[in-house]
Amino acid sequence: MPIDTSEIERLAKILEHSGIASIEIEENGQSLKLVMEDTQPSVRPPSLVPTALPGDAAVIVKADVAGIFVAAHPWRAKPFVEPGQCIEAGAVVGLVKIGLLYAPVLSPATGFVDAIIAETGATVGYGSPIVSVQATA
Amino acid sequence: MIEILSVRGPASIQDLGRLDQYRFGVGTSGAMDDLALRAGNILVGNDENAAGIEIPMMPFKVRFCRDMAFALTGADVEATLGGHAIPPWWKLHACAGDVLDLRAMTRGARTYITVAGGIDVPVVLGSRSTQLRGEFGGLHGRSLLPGDILPCAAPSIPGYIGELGTEPADIALARPNTPAGDITVRVVIAGEYDAYDGAAQDLFWSSSWKVTPQSNRYGYRLQGPPVKSIAPIEKRSHGIVPGVIQVPPNGQPIIQMRDAQTSGGYPKMATVIGADLWRVGQSGLGGKLRFEQTSYADALAAHDEVSHYLNRLRTSVRLFEEMRRCR
Repeated sequence: MPIDTSEIERLAKILEHSGIASIEIEENGQSLKLVMEDTQPSVRPPSLVPTALPGDAAVIVKADVAGIFVAAHPWRAKPFVEPGQCIEAGAVVGLVKIGLLYAPVLSPATGFVDAIIAETGATVGYGSPIVSVQATA
Repeated sequence: MIEILSVRGPASIQDLGRLDQYRFGVGTSGAMDDLALRAGNILVGNDENAAGIEIPMMPFKVRFCRDMAFALTGADVEATLGGHAIPPWWKLHACAGDVLDLRAMTRGARTYITVAGGIDVPVVLGSRSTQLRGEFGGLHGRSLLPGDILPCAAPSIPGYIGELGTEPADIALARPNTPAGDITVRVVIAGEYDAYDGAAQDLFWSSSWKVTPQSNRYGYRLQGPPVKSIAPIEKRSHGIVPGVIQVPPNGQPIIQMRDAQTSGGYPKMATVIGADLWRVGQSGLGGKLRFEQTSYADALAAHDEVSHYLNRLRTSVRLFEEMRRCR
């Protein structure tokens, strides 16, 4: 079975933050080696976000884990946020389902929801854009 | 510590129950939805038997007296912490002074609050569960009152890692082919089943049983077409367990629950399997229950399925929190 690309992303992220220089994995005749560069991380999370999406105060809320995006809790009909809604920093804007776990996607900014970028049921990874927010503070 | 600000109905401290004293006639008590209590404890990093708060009626309001992680599981409830909405089956962090406000219950019948470290009331006869009949265990052997202060033990894993939710048990362990709005529970037939003729047995299986207002932690009294035995049954009191479905002479079944007496004399039609007893605990007043016959082997398989769900949950939460710690 091929090594999952989302696994590579996750490993790279862990390397980047733990200060470990490299990691090598061998499994079923396949091998994977990740080496961190001194100045810059060698593996960047695939940033899928166009840098100039909405206006200047726009903040793209991104997933920080790989899984299936859902806009509403399965027990609730209403999504966590809708366009035009005012939210505070730390608000849950959606969930990433990973097996039995529901990891929250949290807005880093206070402001108005511009758009829900991710679709319910879509596979998202680290850095995937989920919601755009017009920051007011 | 946690201070109870407002409470309606018999909220109580419960762990998984007092399981070793049954032979002395001491009932088990324990959470009516043991899966919700276990999941809540897993989310906050506790032993699954740690004591939490079982809340059968809203509104309910508490103030956290120090910073601590807590989780909400069980029935769906409109909940806010310091004014911010909390999703169902969710762990988050409260700061000292934060108020947790639980309002209308929209699904299920019992919500659980678990806190990192657990509610630290004294262990009585092997459990922290409130024994309402015997008036011991829990907090002073009674339901919670406004002004009560609940002591909380120090968490075993220090440090809060972040908000996290989990799939509610009724989704992870969904039962197929249940008519909309009804809850189907699997039962094995019990001692006096053959004292009912085929027509009475059919009524028992085919009816949708209404949960009457005389339903609580002691037992659920159900309403439906009368199920009558072939001849009147007179039995001496004998040992019974939570989950036993008795049929008194009026033909209206009673499901014995966690605070049931350890003995009774009514004829026993069937027993709800342990793996489904939580579903009864989450059936609210006016709800509809159906009984589905199952075998002893299938009851064990259902138990394994529940264990598998809890094992997966335990492992997933641990791995996810470790990954977060690495960041």
